[in-house]
Amino acid sequence: MSERKSPFDETSANDSNTNSDIHESNGVGFKWLIPIARSFKLSEGNLFLLLAIIIGIFSGMAVVCFRISIEWVRLALLGSALSPLHIRVLLVPAGVGLVVAFLVQKFFLAARGSGVNQTKAAVYVFDGYVPFRTVIGKFLTCSIAIGGGQSLGPEDPSLQMGAGIASAIGRRLKLSRDKLRLLAPVGAAAGLAAAFNAPISAVLFVIEEVIGTWSASALGAIILAAVSSAVVMRSFLGGEPMFRVPAYTLAHPAELIAYAVLGVVSGLLSLAFTKIIVTFRPMLRSLPEWTCYLQPAAAGLLIGLVGLKVPQSLGTGYPYIDQALHSQYTWQILAILGFAKILTTSLSFVSGTPGGMFAPTLFIGAMIGGAIGGLEHQFFPQVSASVAPFALVGMGTFFAGFMRVPITSVFMVVETTGSYSIVLPVMISNTIAYLISRRYQDASLFDILAKQDNMELPSMEEQREQIVLRVEDAFRQPNFPPLQASDTLARAMEVANVSPEDCLLVRFPTGRWAGIARKDLPEIAAKYPKESQLREVLPTARLPILHPDQRLDDALRFIQGHQLLPVIGRAGSRKLEGVISLPDILAAYQKAS
Amino acid sequence: MILLALLFVVTAALARSYHAREEELAKVWAERGNKDLSSGKPATALEDYRNSLSYAPDNPDVQLHLAEALLADGRLTEARSYLANLWDHTPGSGKVNLDLARVSMRMGDSDQAVQYFRGAILGSWEGDSAFQRRQARLELSEFLLDKRRLDEAKAVITGIAMDTPSENGPVHEENGHLFLRVGDPVLALAEFESALQTDPHNIEWLKEAAQVAFEDGNYSKAEIYFSRAVQENSTDDLRASLALVRDILRNDPFLPGLSEDEQARRTWLDFQQGLDRLHKCMATGASSSSSSHASTDLDSLAKESQELQKRVNLSSLQSDPELRKEAMQFVSRTEDLTSQICGPPTGIDKALRLLKKQQEVLNP
Repeated sequence: MSERKSPFDETSANDSNTNSDIHESNGVGFKWLIPIARSFKLSEGNLFLLLAIIIGIFSGMAVVCFRISIEWVRLALLGSALSPLHIRVLLVPAGVGLVVAFLVQKFFLAARGSGVNQTKAAVYVFDGYVPFRTVIGKFLTCSIAIGGGQSLGPEDPSLQMGAGIASAIGRRLKLSRDKLRLLAPVGAAAGLAAAFNAPISAVLFVIEEVIGTWSASALGAIILAAVSSAVVMRSFLGGEPMFRVPAYTLAHPAELIAYAVLGVVSGLLSLAFTKIIVTFRPMLRSLPEWTCYLQPAAAGLLIGLVGLKVPQSLGTGYPYIDQALHSQYTWQILAILGFAKILTTSLSFVSGTPGGMFAPTLFIGAMIGGAIGGLEHQFFPQVSASVAPFALVGMGTFFAGFMRVPITSVFMVVETTGSYSIVLPVMISNTIAYLISRRYQDASLFDILAKQDNMELPSMEEQREQIVLRVEDAFRQPNFPPLQASDTLARAMEVANVSPEDCLLVRFPTGRWAGIARKDLPEIAAKYPKESQLREVLPTARLPILHPDQRLDDALRFIQGHQLLPVIGRAGSRKLEGVISLPDILAAYQKAS
Repeated sequence: MILLALLFVVTAALARSYHAREEELAKVWAERGNKDLSSGKPATALEDYRNSLSYAPDNPDVQLHLAEALLADGRLTEARSYLANLWDHTPGSGKVNLDLARVSMRMGDSDQAVQYFRGAILGSWEGDSAFQRRQARLELSEFLLDKRRLDEAKAVITGIAMDTPSENGPVHEENGHLFLRVGDPVLALAEFESALQTDPHNIEWLKEAAQVAFEDGNYSKAEIYFSRAVQENSTDDLRASLALVRDILRNDPFLPGLSEDEQARRTWLDFQQGLDRLHKCMATGASSSSSSHASTDLDSLAKESQELQKRVNLSSLQSDPELRKEAMQFVSRTEDLTSQICGPPTGIDKALRLLKKQQEVLNP
């Protein structure tokens, strides 16, 4: 990877330059970018944003094709009715299980799983490299599996396909390793945005789950890619929100209690769902390798058996979410649908069938939410509204508990439904579910799955919640007031005699600081008269200054070569808040660990 | 660039063909649903409509049909929830309101049903909105009649009548029947008369107007409509009814515009007829009647007649309006009692018995 030559690297010597000097031989197939970059005098950063838009367009169109192909497969294999014929329900999921298992084992081994962890691995392990073969494999196997009734969704595969497309474009342009790493999440956001018709949620999910930080260098590109991808998707498949929801108004503040109950139940059920998956997945993986050819088929057969009674539990289940949102089911039926989907999705996922967890999670959440709402409405009609808002909130709540992405889950509900009025109950319910899930399950699902796959991917949740040590955690008060630049050398020697510090800090009227090491004082005193002012005798080099809110990691970097650094307040007076030395920093780290 | 263009073309072609397929499937399933619903298979229709909506979720017609299928299948809770959601989006839709009213009606929520009926009446309709609103009002009036909420029903029917175009005779006729059901023959007669203004020779409407007027004791109008009916179609029944009405009018001493002498003369004749009926009944009916109570009543009436006979004569009746009233009350009681004991009256006696009803109408 390191030998790749990047057009961006070539211009990096002078950031203000345009890309007029992009090498002509770069990026076969993307040569047309070069005249554009030259004509518009695009800088490196701007060209990267342009590339993000291009990735968004490619990913958007790929996801449109992917979604349509899933539907075509469904129509061909299961028919156009929501409740297919029994014989098809029984045989098709098992049949596609066989086909998909063969394709995965023989040709597309990397297409297994949902795609989220694979994308994370691409970013953190494989330098942003996602083989294009994986994109093709994901497209084919997921279309067949999901279209054939396996209980999985197209979102996570779309995310991985987006990352794969971005990676392929980056490789085509011979981008550097750093840029390739940056491109994978850009493509992931584009893929997810198109699959979900929800660019904000896609951006947030990629930040919350894939890259873990609000990196300024990536954020702009991720947003542009997600937006362009969503625009492309909407232009082909329509701009309506994914779910049509009835109007919602909070009738009474007490209704929020009902949503809190939903949060508790969803939190516990999402926990149970996670436990089922993380328990049975390694069990099936430990079976002999030849069983991998049969596991998806066996899962498909069991799914078919469930589907005979509950056909709603096949496939993505989106039409049924719509029905739940329009109160077409009683709470008993909603509960049955929710539990059936937990069962079928667990079967599909643990058997290694390629496909995503987003859609099933939303389905389960909507059904469980609706069931809780219906139950509460039956017993406390004065407190709880109709079933529909509960189904709506339930989607986000279960998602928050299961995926452990609390911010994404809130925006996802708002975005996929176009309903902002629901945000208050969503926030309450999601937070409760998330906290319950965290309380009883240390790591998130994706982190556990990564460990099961022998990968030590960084846990975004842990990263987010790591204690960040700051300068204020390590600095101490100075033993003596600092010297002024107008003080004499004699004064400095007096202070040095009584101060325990090995270094004296000197403040200049300009606000700059300098340091005199105690060991250097005799040498200086030999050169200059004792009445000399310190500004005349001190070297021109100035000390770096720190602020209390800066990260201790920064302080560690700045302290190199200095015995003591001043810590200055950010307010106008620029008061000396304290001093910090290397032993102080190390002591703070030791204390924190 | 070529790759991008190629992908665009492929995607566009795929999307277009898929949309076309979606439209086709939505249509096919909706048609299948309509067929199933009309052939009395609401459960199958329900699935058909759901299939259709999975391809065209915003089709309002199919949404409504789905609700109607739910309703027809007796899945009232689901139907109500579904319709309530539709109502959230289109609160002014007459059809949605009407379906919600039907669901509420079947679920026994009368007040809610009335509220939605009113929404349907005031709501917007596609096509012939006047007809649809009238149908909604008719359903509401039927519902109120079933619930014996007669005053409210009458108000709704009055609204229907007010909005009925004057040239629409059959609708006026229907209105007339509705008024009869809320117990208002006066307004019913007015509606039948309105109907007759559009077609004065309609024999059915003439008979209905005559009958309503007759039963309401408005014999003058009954005579008019019976005679016109006889002119149009002279049947035995009609002629008998006309003869009866004419007997009533001929023997009624209290008809407006009669002189004192004529009133006295008619009262005198009626009184004599009553006496005759009483004596005949005492001679035949009392012996055949097993009830001693009836016999006692007849005896008591006979005693009263003897007392009255002393005071009633043509000249006393001419001079004393109160005596005329007293004599006619006796006649009325006699006809009532004898009809109970000796069987239904015929001829003049029947007319005299019906005179009482006329008096109630004229002097309520």
